Amino acid sequence: MKVFQRKRLFILLIGIIILVALIGYSMQDRKNETIAEQFVKDTVGWAQNLVHTPVEYVTGIFENIDDIKNTYEENKLLRQKIAEYKSLQYEVQELKEENDELRNTLDKTESIRDYNPVQATVISRSPERWIEQVTINKGSQDGVEENMAVITAEGMIGKVDAESKFTSTVKLLTGFDQFNRISATVSREDEDDIHGMIEGYDQESNHLLLRVVEESDFDLEEGELVLSSGMGGVFPAGLPIGEVKEVKPDEYGLTRTAFVEPVADMYDINNVIVVERQQPNSDTSSESEEEAS
Amino acid sequence: MKRLLILGILFLLLISEGVALDMLPASLLDGNIFFVSHWVFVFLVFLAIFYDREDTYFSVFYALLIGLLVDIAYTGILGVYMFSYALSVYIIHGLAKLLHANFVATMTLGVIGLIFAEAFIYFIFSMTGIAELVWQDYLINRLIPTVLANVLFLLVLYPFSAKWLVNLREQQLSGSRQF
Repeated sequence: MKVFQRKRLFILLIGIIILVALIGYSMQDRKNETIAEQFVKDTVGWAQNLVHTPVEYVTGIFENIDDIKNTYEENKLLRQKIAEYKSLQYEVQELKEENDELRNTLDKTESIRDYNPVQATVISRSPERWIEQVTINKGSQDGVEENMAVITAEGMIGKVDAESKFTSTVKLLTGFDQFNRISATVSREDEDDIHGMIEGYDQESNHLLLRVVEESDFDLEEGELVLSSGMGGVFPAGLPIGEVKEVKPDEYGLTRTAFVEPVADMYDINNVIVVERQQPNSDTSSESEEEAS
Repeated sequence: MKRLLILGILFLLLISEGVALDMLPASLLDGNIFFVSHWVFVFLVFLAIFYDREDTYFSVFYALLIGLLVDIAYTGILGVYMFSYALSVYIIHGLAKLLHANFVATMTLGVIGLIFAEAFIYFIFSMTGIAELVWQDYLINRLIPTVLANVLFLLVLYPFSAKWLVNLREQQLSGSRQF
């Protein structure tokens, strides 16, 4: 009996050692996941796609019925909006043309706002709630790469954490920490923009933390829109991130931290766009370290 | 062939966990109360109680294997679920010897197993710095809702699987004493 007890303890200890080794291995900064991991992910993703498509279809029918009920009201509202948009669209077109012309005269045709979109569908969400992660049905075959920004129609939801051949995992903004910063900006009409860094997500208040890097004369105001600034070199500029809810000075009173509420709904994501920034040809490699790790 | 059936069911539960969470209405996921679905684990508990005999450890092997798959597919941190699931299933396997395999015992063992598994996962994640939550909050906002939600799943699964697994044991494990 005693021998048996000792054997059990021995197995437990070996188990703990293997556990620590495995955790250490997966927590380190790995460039790519192993082929075995990618294979498992693709298999799971493929099976999830099989389950997801019919389920999505059925829930889609119910949602459609729901939508039909509100159609009349919505239609009225939308007509009004369209009338407003028409003039706005014309204005945007004019501005775009003017912008292109000016860029041409300057011989500067590339912009950090340009990106190539990859359309994708969310097929599952990690059941482990400590890890804010969803799986999408596009992988490296479709041009998805690590660290690309992922957006919905409303705004940014996260970045590509790891890609395998046919699926990839997306780290949501709600799971961001100090290792996943986004350089952000609040655009002002008549004075200098305010620059800052999104430094992580505060689990207690459910807000993103924006540290204002550059002091400016005017305080951030509630309700202002925070956009990605593209200065980190990985994400393109101009992706909406969130709205300022509250501004607090930090413990030393030197910088201020703004609490930003993400504009995109993190819990109701279906169709996403993976955003590949068009890399300008010259000297961005030195900058791109900042957001990468 | 029948062996693969159990693996197939475990795999199906594994993939449906993620899809189901994606499909759930947002109002359930938003807010302070979190629950984690451990459907795979609930089925592993059934295996430990109804499928394994006293001297077989299939459920623990399945827990190791499927736990590793959960790690790869859903968390990206290897070993956490593998270790927690396997150890909790092992404990349940040991406790199952003491109790008669009826409904009340299954419920009790299920709850105990879920608490063990969740606690191990929380402990490991807080050691690695991923989970930052004081344990009082954890207890009320995560552990209790998680156990309740999964006991619900256990109640749904019980009528289908208990008898079936016992039959399967009679067929597969009656003669052989290898494991």
